[in-house]
Amino acid sequence: MSKEIIVDSLTKIFTQGKSKLEVLKDLTFDVNKGEFICIVGPSGCGKTTLLKIICGLEEPTYGKVLIRNEPPNPIKHRFGMIFQEDSLLPWRNVIGNVKFGLEIKGYNKKESEEISRKYIEMVGLKGFENYYPYQLSGGMKKRVAIARALAIDPDLILMDEPFADLDAQTRSLMQRELLRIWFGVGKTVLFVTHNVEEAVFLANRVIVLTKRPSRVKSIINIELPYPRNRLSQSFISYREKILKLFHEEMGVSEFGT
Amino acid sequence: MKYHINYLFSFLSIIVFLILWHLFSIIINIPYFPSPISVIKAILEIALIGDVDKYTLAQHIYVSVERVLLGFSIAAITAIPLGLIIGIKPLIKDTITPIIEPIRFIPPIAWIPLAIVLLVGITRYIFIIWVGAFFPILLNTIAGIKRTSNILIQMAKSFGSSRNQIIYKIIIPSSLPEVMTGLRVGLGVGWMCIVAAEMIGGEPIGLGRLIIKYAGLLRLDVVIAGMIVIGIIGMLMNYIILAIEKRLFKWRQEIIIT
Repeated sequence: MSKEIIVDSLTKIFTQGKSKLEVLKDLTFDVNKGEFICIVGPSGCGKTTLLKIICGLEEPTYGKVLIRNEPPNPIKHRFGMIFQEDSLLPWRNVIGNVKFGLEIKGYNKKESEEISRKYIEMVGLKGFENYYPYQLSGGMKKRVAIARALAIDPDLILMDEPFADLDAQTRSLMQRELLRIWFGVGKTVLFVTHNVEEAVFLANRVIVLTKRPSRVKSIINIELPYPRNRLSQSFISYREKILKLFHEEMGVSEFGT
Repeated sequence: MKYHINYLFSFLSIIVFLILWHLFSIIINIPYFPSPISVIKAILEIALIGDVDKYTLAQHIYVSVERVLLGFSIAAITAIPLGLIIGIKPLIKDTITPIIEPIRFIPPIAWIPLAIVLLVGITRYIFIIWVGAFFPILLNTIAGIKRTSNILIQMAKSFGSSRNQIIYKIIIPSSLPEVMTGLRVGLGVGWMCIVAAEMIGGEPIGLGRLIIKYAGLLRLDVVIAGMIVIGIIGMLMNYIILAIEKRLFKWRQEIIIT
């Protein structure tokens, strides 16, 4: 079977003057088409950098990333990248923001209008089309960013801690919503999080990274049917297993998550 | 309710200021130093009857505003595109900065001798006002472009935006508020150059000219009247652009400390 993403001996070193920061070291894994992958690891371990290399925003120092056997190319490959930071255009209202990706991809006005409305409704923001980002809460902004990424019908959805600033209730709602979308369209999803429970709830496979310079510590297949029950014994044992790997990396002092 | 209190305070402070001024003019007792009453009389005199050359206040204002707007428009047309290019192309910035940096610290007044020798008529006024307005617009435009959020550019790139799309859809709209601030400051500085500019013009009309004419006659009441009119018009122009800014850039959250 052809792989959707191949990450092969990927190393990323940031140089600033004489100091070098090795963020990713010899990272290797691959992703099948339609898979939902969660990447977890200690903060500062280069998860964001990994996503940026995969969607072509950063260049690898050594090694390579291939998307369907080609180097990442945002013009050719359709990436739906959802950044950790607020990435809405503050001068555009909700629908204007959702249209942005469609404009870049060359959809005409009528199409982008229709598609945007559909995705705004999907993320539960119907009625907010004409609101500006400053009028929205953090969670709503995130949902606009998700709608914008999904609207272009991406081949690959890349999400960088998308639900980190959401309250627990919205977060759980968005997780279920994301799974629903994923079931519906069968997209490949790469989802970065530091929340182990979230990873077990969402992913086919969870990739655990070591602390910086990050390598792949472990890849765990989550063999649980969807929708998953967070209280089931098997769910909890997966969570414990990954948490243990995670805490080995973080040192003993950090719990939570 | 709050606004009414603010207006009341503003009104009161003006009244107090006028009273203090009046008392001061009585105490120092110099015949040339005008009291607020004689200044108000002077404003009415110039407004209704006209000055020694029969030009009314409205005519002076009209001519000065016209000159400033001309110089300011040329400054905007030259400074905004240049700022855009400097902001986007680091190489051009490095080339042009050593020339621009020292020039921008030359006050507009220092350009007057050059303008007298090299230029004639209205081009003199326009040149001086252009010098005053150009740099605030240029520097704010560059600053606006520099402040474009990197995350927005990365977002655009992740969708496969071309360089031009990034410039037109991200960089330009995101720097517009700063460009507008530059225009507001530039218009203010241009306006403040009006007296200097009109000093070197031949025509006996314009607010700056009015002040200079009456300074020669030792009529400080009219001089101060002219100064006050210049101040008020500058303030009004600033308010107008501020109001436009507020309408246009509602998306820019304002920080209000109460």
